[in-house]
Amino acid sequence: MSGRREFLRALGTAGAGVLAAQALPSWARAAAAQAARSAPAPAELLVRNAWPEHFETTLDALGRSWLTRNDRFFVRSHFPAPEIDPTTYTLEVSGLVRSPLTLTLAQVRDLPTIESVHTLECAGNGRGLFKLPSTSGTQWERGAVGTAAWGGARLSILLRRAELLPEAKAVWLEAADQAPLSEVPKFLRSIPLEKAMDDTLLVHDMNGEPLSRLHGGPLRAIVPGWYGMASTKWVTKIRVEAGPSDNHFMAKGYRYVYPGEDPAAAPPVEDVKVKSVITRPLAGSTLARGKVRIQGFAWAGPAGVRMVEISTDGGKTWRPAGFMGDTAPLAWRAWATEIEVKTPATVKVMARATDGKGEAQPSQARANAAGYANNSIHVVNFRVA
Amino acid sequence: MWPRRLSLVVAVGALGLAAAVAFTAGDGKATRRGVYPSDFAEGDGRSIAERACLLCHSASLVTQQAKDSTGWEKTLVQMEKWGVAMTAAEHDTLRGYLLARFGPRVKK
Repeated sequence: MSGRREFLRALGTAGAGVLAAQALPSWARAAAAQAARSAPAPAELLVRNAWPEHFETTLDALGRSWLTRNDRFFVRSHFPAPEIDPTTYTLEVSGLVRSPLTLTLAQVRDLPTIESVHTLECAGNGRGLFKLPSTSGTQWERGAVGTAAWGGARLSILLRRAELLPEAKAVWLEAADQAPLSEVPKFLRSIPLEKAMDDTLLVHDMNGEPLSRLHGGPLRAIVPGWYGMASTKWVTKIRVEAGPSDNHFMAKGYRYVYPGEDPAAAPPVEDVKVKSVITRPLAGSTLARGKVRIQGFAWAGPAGVRMVEISTDGGKTWRPAGFMGDTAPLAWRAWATEIEVKTPATVKVMARATDGKGEAQPSQARANAAGYANNSIHVVNFRVA
Repeated sequence: MWPRRLSLVVAVGALGLAAAVAFTAGDGKATRRGVYPSDFAEGDGRSIAERACLLCHSASLVTQQAKDSTGWEKTLVQMEKWGVAMTAAEHDTLRGYLLARFGPRVKK
């Protein structure tokens, strides 16, 4: 490089990647390379799709706290995250009700507020591990899951206020996001009236902060114990209907289509299946010999988690891990145990959770066409030196 | 000559700014890392892929896939149903491009 003029011109017109590769003086490239070597920032979020945003939490980041920090929490959006002006936002409640409602965000925030801790898992979490030949979905591995304290109102309060008619059987939640192409169906999910009246929330806060745009702000649903697609983000319309929606995201999407079975009769994806992840040790890590702590999280749908066991002999024998820390209904449990490794070795550890009905994680979950609900047992290989 | 120290400040500042944009854009401070190629590679069909796919989503949603011919055909038919316009010839070229680059995984 002949001088600063060229360098500044390059700085003004080129992207940083181009700069790093082409325009920087050799000494600056060396300095940048050294900086990159000496202070690598471990990723906390894996960008599986840049837009719409599909971000997965790394197991390293996931394992750091029972409540997942907001900026580390996985993000899954069907369409570009809409910019909603909170001062003009309205929520409509209509359909099979005597008194349709239109509320401002301030009025929604004035409803009796509760804070409830729940685990949210994307239905496609683990899809990438199925290695399917023809699914279009994001190839999530294990981190499309997280736990937060959700602050908001029970949906039942609004529905009671709107006065349900006797024919009411389902609640349709319509979102504000939409695809750039108008022919693409809008995102809409419906839930049975019983679930809507039970523990479903309309939340405007996440871990004590206003719900961010990427996580569905200003208002989203949280349907505890169900996979994440039910917890519609950017909710603007609530319609009470006599039955479930036949929208694309209900009738075709989010169905368990198993090989050889009729797609039209495929059961819907609803309750979360029992699952656990090992967050320490990380796969491929090297630890000192002696006592090695194995820890992670386990969660399930309405049946709850009853136990977690680990195996270090390929699944021949299992021994229980202990639960620890905080608890909340339909939130994951932290678990831990110790193993002793006296000599240098490669260790294979497996964790298996069992739910309250006795359903245990399978070694290999049954693959379905769209790769939903992969709750296969997590296996981690690490080294002891 | 440009003072070496100033150059270092500008260069590191530029890289730092780029890193800040890459790691914090949008929502919070968590460090982020892309997993898949963010651009379509050269080849016959690349321009169709850029025109058709990038209407609604980034390239990485495509570059992370490993589908067989049936899988890619299904995807293209769905996207055309949802409003992506292409001729029959473009459809075939695009399917070939996608299959060649993002075809089935080699079974181990």
